[in-house]
Amino acid sequence: MESIDAMNFGAIARKKLNLLTLLVVAAMAMVALPVGSFAQEDGGVSLDEGSVAEPLETTVTEAEAAGFDYYGPEMIKGQPVSSDEDFWGSMTFQDQYTETGEYALWMHDAILLPIIVAISIFVLFLLLWVVFRYNKRSNTVPSKTSHNTVIEVIWTVIPVLILVVIAVPSISLLAEQYKSPPEDAITIKANGYQWYWGYEYLDNGGFEVISNMMPESDALDEGLPPQLAVDNRMVVPVGVPIRLQTFGADVIHSFGIPSLWFKLDAVPGRINEKMLTIDEPGIYYGQCMELCGARHGYMPIAIEARPLEEYNAWVQSQPGGMTRAQIEAEEAAAAAPAPAEDTTEVEGVRPPVSSELDAPIAGEAPTEDTSPTT
Amino acid sequence: MTTMTLEDRNKRTMMIAFGMALAMLGLGYAAVPLYDLFCRVTGFGGTTQVASESDAAMAERLAASAGGVSYSIRFDANTARNMPWEFKPVQVTDSVAIGQRDMAFYTARNNSDAPITGTATFNVEPEQAGRYFNKIQCFCFTEQTLQPGQEIRMPVLYYVDPAALEDPNMEGVEQITLSYTFHKAGQEPSSGEENPS
Amino acid sequence: MATTAEGFDAHHEEHAAHDHADHKPSFFSRWFMSTNHKDIGTLYLIFAIIAGVIGGVISGLMRAELGSPGLQVMGGVVNFLGGDGASFDQQGHMWNVLITAHGLIMVFFMVMPAMIGGFGNWFVPLMIGAPDMAFPRMNNISFWLTVAGFFSLLFSLFVPGGTGLGAGTGWTVYAPLSTTGSVGPAVDFAIFSLHLAGAGSILGATNFITTIFNMRAPGMTLHKMPLFVWSVLVTAFLLLLALPVLAAAITMLLTDRNFGTTFFDPAGGGDPVLYQHLFWFFGHPEVYIMILPGFGMISQIVATFSRKPVFGYLGMAYAMVAIGVVGFIVWAHHMYTVGLDVNTKMYFTAATMVIAVPTGIKIFSWIATMWGGSLEFKSPMVWALGFIFLFTVGGVTGVVLANGGIDDNLHDTYYVVAHFHYVLSMGAVFSLFAGFYYWFPKMSGRWHSEFLSHVHFWIFFVGVNMIFFPMHFLGLQGMARRYPDYTPAFTYWNEIATYGYMVMGVSMIVFFVNIGYALVAGKRAPGNYWGEGATTLEWSLSSPPPFHQFETLPVIEDHHSADDHISEKPATA
Repeated sequence: MESIDAMNFGAIARKKLNLLTLLVVAAMAMVALPVGSFAQEDGGVSLDEGSVAEPLETTVTEAEAAGFDYYGPEMIKGQPVSSDEDFWGSMTFQDQYTETGEYALWMHDAILLPIIVAISIFVLFLLLWVVFRYNKRSNTVPSKTSHNTVIEVIWTVIPVLILVVIAVPSISLLAEQYKSPPEDAITIKANGYQWYWGYEYLDNGGFEVISNMMPESDALDEGLPPQLAVDNRMVVPVGVPIRLQTFGADVIHSFGIPSLWFKLDAVPGRINEKMLTIDEPGIYYGQCMELCGARHGYMPIAIEARPLEEYNAWVQSQPGGMTRAQIEAEEAAAAAPAPAEDTTEVEGVRPPVSSELDAPIAGEAPTEDTSPTT
Repeated sequence: MTTMTLEDRNKRTMMIAFGMALAMLGLGYAAVPLYDLFCRVTGFGGTTQVASESDAAMAERLAASAGGVSYSIRFDANTARNMPWEFKPVQVTDSVAIGQRDMAFYTARNNSDAPITGTATFNVEPEQAGRYFNKIQCFCFTEQTLQPGQEIRMPVLYYVDPAALEDPNMEGVEQITLSYTFHKAGQEPSSGEENPS
Repeated sequence: MATTAEGFDAHHEEHAAHDHADHKPSFFSRWFMSTNHKDIGTLYLIFAIIAGVIGGVISGLMRAELGSPGLQVMGGVVNFLGGDGASFDQQGHMWNVLITAHGLIMVFFMVMPAMIGGFGNWFVPLMIGAPDMAFPRMNNISFWLTVAGFFSLLFSLFVPGGTGLGAGTGWTVYAPLSTTGSVGPAVDFAIFSLHLAGAGSILGATNFITTIFNMRAPGMTLHKMPLFVWSVLVTAFLLLLALPVLAAAITMLLTDRNFGTTFFDPAGGGDPVLYQHLFWFFGHPEVYIMILPGFGMISQIVATFSRKPVFGYLGMAYAMVAIGVVGFIVWAHHMYTVGLDVNTKMYFTAATMVIAVPTGIKIFSWIATMWGGSLEFKSPMVWALGFIFLFTVGGVTGVVLANGGIDDNLHDTYYVVAHFHYVLSMGAVFSLFAGFYYWFPKMSGRWHSEFLSHVHFWIFFVGVNMIFFPMHFLGLQGMARRYPDYTPAFTYWNEIATYGYMVMGVSMIVFFVNIGYALVAGKRAPGNYWGEGATTLEWSLSSPPPFHQFETLPVIEDHHSADDHISEKPATA
């Protein structure tokens, strides 16, 4: 039972002392590193124009040609607050501009936050109490108590009750958030691409606005927040329910706007949908919230919410953009001479599909057999 | 105390533990078909149902008593990013009486200069509508091949199950979006053992 | 052979001649072909410290980058690893590689090896009175598989992974970013690294389960086992049930990447969301795998330094079992924004909040253990107190995040980062340091400096709170996770977090100086250096324990009350 030396770390460690010194040096180096980083604030690489994804369509010029006036920085409502502007505001949620957002904010501020602060302080208080009351000097003889059924039941039941108190508003918040949009909600689809967003206006002619991050220098020139400002904003109507759908064209992205309490993943191969109703006109910034590759941090979202008439004006300024009234008028005109689709409503009979088609039909005999045809 | 030696007991415990691990590994793989099945049966994630003509006839008879409720159906089309097809619905929305069969059309056009085989994935939103959205015929059941520049019209024959009226989760649902996404089918035919579902 | 502490101390003082219990193999076979649970435990701890330093340096690079808006540091890192540092995409990719590596290293190669491999290997056999683990050679394989996994991960940093070198998928390796979104072998090596580490952990878990079920000393029933052993038992079951699911999921990723399968590829009928379900079915139990052994250590330490038995022993043990069981049915709370329907989200909200109940039982039972005790504030106890408070803070933010409707805003923001660093970086790591100072003299036979340990604690405590508390504010304000850059409004709190990192870094220097001091000049530690509060079996042995212990099994007294307050009769050979 001797040679304890070899059993302990000492023997090894003495041989590894060089390594240890190295580690200490490395640790010091890593402590020093961030200091250096502050020193070269301006020397950093910024996102230059060349690295922005090439827009597929340019819409901003057309809109401006039609004389549409975009909001300036004074209309920014949803963006993070810096601590210089509003110290306390920089420590909490952004102001909310949707009904569900206000409800969720209330639930957080009035229910969750007080409860979690109270629990933390209560535990801290108990810890300080035992530290001061039951330290070795104050209490030399420890008790041997190791059971107390009453107290054990209490600290099981009270947390359950607290959770019930939380669960009630939580469930109704969820129900609120999952309300289905009405039939006439304006449908906009946010397509996530590596690494920009495309907004498809499905009820207004189906045009797509491609939205890239604005280069930092341009954003600063215009007085807009860098990393959040974009070249083409997603213009939406205010006070009207929007059926917002998301789709991921390549990998998973996520459409998140903190000031609207809205976040929905854009998943390849499927769409997701959620209702969004914005209370006030303004600009609301958001970002991609699901890791999507090298420029994940550089595909911000900017929503410009406008009163419905202004929204309609903007729609008409877009190539292929039509207001709902225009589309209805056009449909009415088209429907009068040729009620083409009526043939499909023959009851119980397989409709004469191929005869009415001007192009060869695909999947000639679609059956329930789902096996691939390769 | 058992009569087994410690070594034997250890081996037995080890085998049981390995058995559990293996079972979980199997369950991990089984999750693929099970999740697929689960989605199809419950409509989870907005998975639509496949119905036969007789199902449809049955639904239509049931719907007769439902009293002419109708849903607005929105048709949505997407393409994966590497898919050079132009794919869009012929009609953006349509109204369909519950239980009634309706047919909708999509068009697809191959804008590339090579023949391309495509396969479509789909779901409906809101998701709780998945279990009531029945497709009798769909271009998504099979793969489609388009020659360069070729354009086709593709039909979907569907109905909404009248059982939707009894589901409290469907309350307030006025419009159902049927969404398709076209992807390039895998180059190797061997990858086809996964159903386009 | 005597097994009392006095017996060993006597031998120790005398420097008695060779005893066959202490016959040791040569250096190479002792450390590379080891079958001794204590040596393997030591290897695991050294490995975890090295991995922790690497993971910590990576987080330093990340904090340096986030110290101010713009990209400052990434270009240099890319150049250092042999890429083109001027390329914007390579810089962005390098950021993703660093967050991925930091996550994987800290989870799989720091916390798990230290908790289960290190302290578990060292003290489970000692605490249950077993001579070694049930399968000593399998134990060795477990360790070297973990090391091989670590090298596979490090290797992935130097091979192409899409837009740059290395795997930039996040530790969650979500498809399709990890399949069609990342061309090149880096992600394959990262996945393979998880396979190796996972296989090692499954073998280790089997070993612990067998050891704990079959090799307890006579008289030590399950309900008399120390709580640390209970925690390792529950953890081992979680590993055994969760890791194979991860193995299946990442194997499917590998075949999707390389062999044309389409498990998660919508183009072939797969579903990327299924990967998330599988990953988090593993991932949520995984977070309990990382914290449960910490719970066990804290229970031992609090009891020792209160000189009282653990309050509500059975409640404590079964609370861990409950946490383990419930941990398997809450996974989708990591996926609230993926497009779940309302009923699914309500279920996972409710199920997740249930976990707060057994966790609360544990917190209050620790406090009740101290209540009426005679507390001595040695370094392990100070770390344990820090653990209890900071884990509570991390736990309550978890209750906030559990609410699906609230999470809609907080998902993937810094609030989540703050939450899981409070429970892991402060929960798991504080318990690791507590355990380290508790057992270091037992393992090494030499005293660390209690003064330096306290200094380490206070600087570390201030540092980590400076890093992570402001992250709550950033998250509430909407700052997204996994961003190398941010809008200037976020600067203030990010700067504080980066200064906090420097403070934390200083404390780690104190830690290493302390170890160095102990190994070089530390006083020799007696068998039971914590006094009467330390009652589990490892304290009946010398420090360090003999190479082979308990060749004659100790017999456990029959106590009337079931708690882990165990004393041991001197056995007669």
